[in-house]
Amino acid sequence: MDGRARVPVAVVAAALIGLVAFSWPLFLRPESGMSATQAPIMFALVLPTVLAVVLSEIAGGRMDARSLAMLGVLAAVGTILRPLSAGTAGFELVFFLMILAGRVFGAGFGFALGAITLFTSALITSGVGPWLPYQMLAAGMVGLFAGLLPRAGGRAEILLLAAYGMVSAFAYGWVMDFSFWPFGIGEDTQISFDPALGPLENLHRFVLYNIATSMGWNLGRALTNAVVIALLGVPLLRLLRRSARQARFAPASSAQPLAE
Amino acid sequence: MERTEALNQVHPWAWWCWAIGIGIAVSGTTNPLLLALVATAMIAVVMLRRSAAPWARSVRAYLLLSLFVIGMRVFFQIVLGGGRGETVLFALPEIPLPAWAAGIQLGGTVTAEALTATLYDALRLAVMLLCIGAANALANPRQALRSVPAALYEASVAVVIALSVAPQLIESVQRVRRARRLRGASSTSLKALATVAMPVLADAIERSMSLAAGMEARGFARTRGLPTRGTLPLMLVSSMAATIGVFLLLSTSWWQPALGLLVAGVTVAGFGLRAAGRRLRVTTYRPQPWRGRDTLVAATGVLAAVLVLGLGWLDPTTLSPALAAILDPAALAPTTDPLAWPQLTLPMFVVIGLVLAPVPLTRARKVAQTASTRNDTRVRSLRPQVERPKVPAWR
Repeated sequence: MDGRARVPVAVVAAALIGLVAFSWPLFLRPESGMSATQAPIMFALVLPTVLAVVLSEIAGGRMDARSLAMLGVLAAVGTILRPLSAGTAGFELVFFLMILAGRVFGAGFGFALGAITLFTSALITSGVGPWLPYQMLAAGMVGLFAGLLPRAGGRAEILLLAAYGMVSAFAYGWVMDFSFWPFGIGEDTQISFDPALGPLENLHRFVLYNIATSMGWNLGRALTNAVVIALLGVPLLRLLRRSARQARFAPASSAQPLAE
Repeated sequence: MERTEALNQVHPWAWWCWAIGIGIAVSGTTNPLLLALVATAMIAVVMLRRSAAPWARSVRAYLLLSLFVIGMRVFFQIVLGGGRGETVLFALPEIPLPAWAAGIQLGGTVTAEALTATLYDALRLAVMLLCIGAANALANPRQALRSVPAALYEASVAVVIALSVAPQLIESVQRVRRARRLRGASSTSLKALATVAMPVLADAIERSMSLAAGMEARGFARTRGLPTRGTLPLMLVSSMAATIGVFLLLSTSWWQPALGLLVAGVTVAGFGLRAAGRRLRVTTYRPQPWRGRDTLVAATGVLAAVLVLGLGWLDPTTLSPALAAILDPAALAPTTDPLAWPQLTLPMFVVIGLVLAPVPLTRARKVAQTASTRNDTRVRSLRPQVERPKVPAWR
């Protein structure tokens, strides 16, 4: 396989596998004999393998010491921000940095930053659990798509990134809630997942569940992203771009970042 | 004579294997007596075998999380539960909902049967969380990161950088805030966020530049370059196969081929990672050996999982009556409608024994004594331990 195509191929495969893992409530059937609380745990055993493959592909051999140090330090910033902000009505500061860094350093870097930030902050705040691989994958995707956004400059770029911050906050909240839906609420209330009902009826129930429980959180997270990106976006992008020029992230001989 | 505890640390991945095995075993039962006993045994092992390190205190966070899960489940069951069962405990007023929420009813009668079923299921989830918490408290995360496959070397370097830089960043925030206060700036407005955040971030990026310079000066990333063609397709295809295996496991009733695909996929992906790691010629500094005792600790977890899941798959009608009375697979999931008192059976005591197994397995070697620690090179790597824990009187 061509060296240049390896990272995109690995990321696309991870996205496909993630899609299956996040949407398990749509295809869990009662005749399988698995309960709804066991289903996400089954994927939690497979997803670390997928994450290991993708991270080894992105970080291994493709990153020099400078981008690796940048990755580690930015992940440390996110690790500090997460326990500072979590728990107060969706005021979550962990995402804006992934979005801005993914925008500047490319999609592969954004994916690695999202996944590693969530991993280290879970180690520090004792948040390791079956949800961790899901969180790593979802946050990685937030950083990844930030690197794939179309070109824009000046005020339009900040607007674009802030809008992406809102959209990605909702998307992150929805996929995480969807895959851990039976964990929070159990299996026999009227807004619980029921494998016997079929996908459409379950989606309806999920919408009701989401409105009842986590709509406010998602909204708070989306607003936090947009406000912080609007406030800090311009100086932070300038800071990151300057260091990217200093660090020469993509030497001519090796692979280009996914975006740009 | 000096005691050398750290030499006898159980391998962190052995603790993880033990805890995940117990967690899988727990996922196969809703018997509250068994669950409570497993939780007690788990906490006993953590209390007796954890170290003095900061992560060893994390089990309390997981206990609180478990209690929160139980509380939330019970709350939703009371407010939104269907009215299964006959034994009515109390009734809440019913609230009508608009048409788009059709079919949902707020309030209504709360029955003992539905509440017990919810409690059993929530308790199972809580004990599974506790298993993860136990692994967190017992396994040393830095040691675990050092024993990852070489292909993940760069990623684990990034994690280690993040873990070591994070405390310095807090100090950096304090420095910037002190400087602002000296200049007479108040730190209450939203604008203040930017004036604190930007210097801290600039400081962090500066730090990463000097760190990178230091790494390159010491020859980091100079030894790699062996081509590993073919490993990526292998790893991707095998993780796809594992995913398809889980998909089949969840959506059909053919569990044998699905489980086969899952196991084969994960195994081949592991081998692919190993092969991909060969391009890096890196060595581990003082690797932690995997001893026979680590295998035993890991095996107890696997054994517990196999025992409970195997018992769950047994069909009591095909067994002889005497054997069925001893094993009694139905006791793993006691009925809640009609309500019945759960029973403890012989295999459950075996499971409890397996949960407790690391206590005798690790105690025998816990205090090793060497004639002269001065000449023991391995001892020099140990942290100085100022205070020895006293052996409690009841042991």
